[in-house]
Amino acid sequence: MSELTLSRILYVEDDADIREIVRMSLQMVGQFQVATCESCAAALKLVDEFNPELLLLDVMMPDVDGPATLQVLRQRASAENAPAIFITAKVEAGDMQRYRNMGVLDVIVKPFDTMGLPGQIEQIWQRYRSSMNDNGG
Amino acid sequence: MTTADEEFAREVARSSAAFVSQLPRQVQALGDDLVAWLSAPRDAALFDKLSHKLHRLKGAGGTFGCSGISDFASALEQRLNTLRSEATGGSASAMAEFEAAMEALRSEANRIYRESTQDGQGGTHN
Repeated sequence: MSELTLSRILYVEDDADIREIVRMSLQMVGQFQVATCESCAAALKLVDEFNPELLLLDVMMPDVDGPATLQVLRQRASAENAPAIFITAKVEAGDMQRYRNMGVLDVIVKPFDTMGLPGQIEQIWQRYRSSMNDNGG
Repeated sequence: MTTADEEFAREVARSSAAFVSQLPRQVQALGDDLVAWLSAPRDAALFDKLSHKLHRLKGAGGTFGCSGISDFASALEQRLNTLRSEATGGSASAMAEFEAAMEALRSEANRIYRESTQDGQGGTHN
């Protein structure tokens, strides 16, 4: 079961520049523990050891995209119940509903304010926790 | 602002400067790929590569304080999709719009790069 306070975030993003700036934002500003990697394959190698509470996934990645990465990670016990947030530069009509059907909490649209990103994630997390409590989770 | 916030703001400035320094080269590479795709519009792998590069530029531009780059990359992405949907080659008007969008992106990248070398790097370039 997820903890009340968000601590460990696994972030998968293929763009090295974005990955690094987001990692710094989440660690320095948000004070989260963050593990980052560039692909689904790399995420599979570290997900069990890191045991994430939240998955933060870029949608448009080569080879295996964000939605497919989420499905693959959900096969692992360490991420089976971890909620996910997608990050994307493009949300088309119907995407949001499709993502929600996959259990995605929310979508953060690029470009985003890197300084405000930790707060944005915290808000989504708190909303998720409240809904869990309302549902007796 | 806390010390951590200030430190992060300095990192953002450094990363933005690095992004800007690479902009003309990135846009040039994008232009080369576009030319290659225009000569082989049925090449799906080339189209996917192009789309991905544009998508990344759109996301990174705004994140690193270059919202103009983000906007022009987005416009070019739309033109590219229009061009592709018009079967092979596209109409003359679609091609003209596409070329104009590419030129707008190139001009914006050059403007931002020029300003960064004149004024020192970092900050926003909107």
